[in-house]
Amino acid sequence: MEGSAQVPANDEEELFDTGSLPCVSERAAAEEAAPTNGQVLLKMVNIHKWFGRVHALRGVNFTVHRGEVVGLCGDNGAGKSTLIKVASGYHTADEGQIFFEGREVKLRSPKDARALGIETVYQEQALCPHLSIARNIFMGREPTTLLGLIDQRTMNKESMEALASMGLRLRSPHALVSALSGGQRQGVAIARAIHFKAKLVILDEPTIALSVKEVREVLDFVRHLRDQGVAVVFITHTLHHVFSVADRIVVLAHGCNLVDVRTKDTDVDELSDIIARGTLGDAVPTTQHAR
Amino acid sequence: MESQPIPFFVRFRNIGVLVVLIVLVAGAALLTPQNTFIQEANLKTLLALGPEFGIIALGVGVLMVSGEFDLSVGSQLALGSLIFISLAGAGINIYIAALLTCLLGVGIGLLHGLVVVKARIVSFIATLGFMLTWRGLTEILTAGKVRSYEFVQHETFVQIFTGRVGDVVPSQVIWFVLFAIVLYFVLHRGRFGNWIYATGDNAQAARAMAIDTHLVKIVCFMIVGFLCAFSAILQTTRTSAVTTHAGTGWELQAVAAAVVGGTSLRGGRGSMIGVFLGALVIMVIDNMIVQARLPYEWSYAAFGVVILAAALLDLGIEKQIQRAAV
Ligand SMILES: Nc1ncnc2c1ncn2[C@@H]1O[C@H](COP(=O)(O)OP(=O)(O)O)[C@@H](O)[C@H]1O
Ligand SMILES: [Mg+2]
Repeated sequence: MEGSAQVPANDEEELFDTGSLPCVSERAAAEEAAPTNGQVLLKMVNIHKWFGRVHALRGVNFTVHRGEVVGLCGDNGAGKSTLIKVASGYHTADEGQIFFEGREVKLRSPKDARALGIETVYQEQALCPHLSIARNIFMGREPTTLLGLIDQRTMNKESMEALASMGLRLRSPHALVSALSGGQRQGVAIARAIHFKAKLVILDEPTIALSVKEVREVLDFVRHLRDQGVAVVFITHTLHHVFSVADRIVVLAHGCNLVDVRTKDTDVDELSDIIARGTLGDAVPTTQHAR
Repeated sequence: MESQPIPFFVRFRNIGVLVVLIVLVAGAALLTPQNTFIQEANLKTLLALGPEFGIIALGVGVLMVSGEFDLSVGSQLALGSLIFISLAGAGINIYIAALLTCLLGVGIGLLHGLVVVKARIVSFIATLGFMLTWRGLTEILTAGKVRSYEFVQHETFVQIFTGRVGDVVPSQVIWFVLFAIVLYFVLHRGRFGNWIYATGDNAQAARAMAIDTHLVKIVCFMIVGFLCAFSAILQTTRTSAVTTHAGTGWELQAVAAAVVGGTSLRGGRGSMIGVFLGALVIMVIDNMIVQARLPYEWSYAAFGVVILAAALLDLGIEKQIQRAAV
């Protein structure tokens, strides 16, 4: 309801409805996201997700290109986490299609997503605090010796290598994750993705509750991933964090697409304005869609 | 590489439990009337009876690492004994009877696990329900009477489960140590063990890493069920009888053993060596109370205090871990 009455007549093709009804689905489905470089890696079309009576995603479209860093923004409850949980097989969409590397895929479990090369670092702590760094990195994919026992030596060696490749020097692979700082924990979770050769790494609010110095560390990890050709989806509601690393920014509001724009075509003030007005529901984005 | 603070605490913890055990044994030796604790007859009894409890406690420890409880172990023991003695009494080959009893134990564990993870009933409550259910069922089936069976006719079987190795060490001790070793490898050296820890520590993170946390928990319940059945076989073979009140109070003693051994009440933390030592501590305390000729109610008070003290200590250790994090 909100916003839909104010849809301007011009440039109708480019608009996304911010109302509470399903987003304008045929139109939205037809939209092509703005490529910043390379070919399409992940493409989610008209994604719907219900939690009981809560319509968390109402026809969202989301595209990530190879080696691209996409900032996913929007207010609390906009549906960011839900969207990426669909992309990582944690939730299944009630409607919509997902394409990875050009082929339609069905993601029924995190296992399916990981097999494709989609690694996710969740907001709700991706690690087990009382387990060692090495055991966390290899969690669920522990290498074994001929006897079927965990190959601790390989785990130790490779986890230290993965961390070092990100410029992260930690004391020992045996140290418990609870002994690490917030930034280091994100580093461990990202090292896991690097070690398992992810093509797409999704970070859900990786900078939340971190100190300024730790935020800088995490942003460095993201650049690091991009330098290795890995695509990154970086969720945050602090626009400043995402502006310094993202090639493109996608904004969700109330389970719909609000903005999809190249970082260089906008600035923090303009975007925060849109996000604020988008949630107030009394305005329509000026920068809807970069071509 | 420098030394790591946290693993040191973990190791320190086991040494702490060992010290407690030694102090307890020394205290029991000195304080029991006429030093009965260290007399051969008592030690033999302790080593033959204790493992029946200890074996169950090992399983409860593993289950607690996965983040769940089983308060029905005492009742599973009683039901298992009844099943075993009934099968044996029906003339079924004794080994097959034992095997069937164990399979049934695994089945009971499966049921517990399914109810907890699929119906999402907190295990503390679900297994409290099963505690009453299995105990009640045992009483109904026996009509409160003692059921007995002559096991002496199966000489080898009796020797395997309740005999002595080299005329000194009771078989039960060997079984107890054997299960502890197997579970040590499962918990600390195998992939499945890492999944158990991950499930108990942060189930969400474990699921995100494609670990089937439901399956992990169900299997842990099945391990407990198996060990309860096995213990029932040991006990029934030793006593040649089943009484409906077998194993009463063991559910909390087993939790106490795990907690004393450093297992977290919130899951994700604990070790097989710790649980093994913790089980020994509880066995010794139990035996001391009997030897000191204190009324049985004393044991409730004693184990209550032990659980509270261990839980408080655990809280302190968790704080240390958090502090070391900075
Ligand atoms: N597991 C869930 N069960 C029920 N409702 C949920 C669940 N996850 C998210 N939601 C609801 O879906 C909406 C979007 O949530 P979420 O994706 O977490 O938003 P964001 O990450 O953008 O803050 C919210 O209204 C939230 O309450
Ligand atoms: Mg979120």
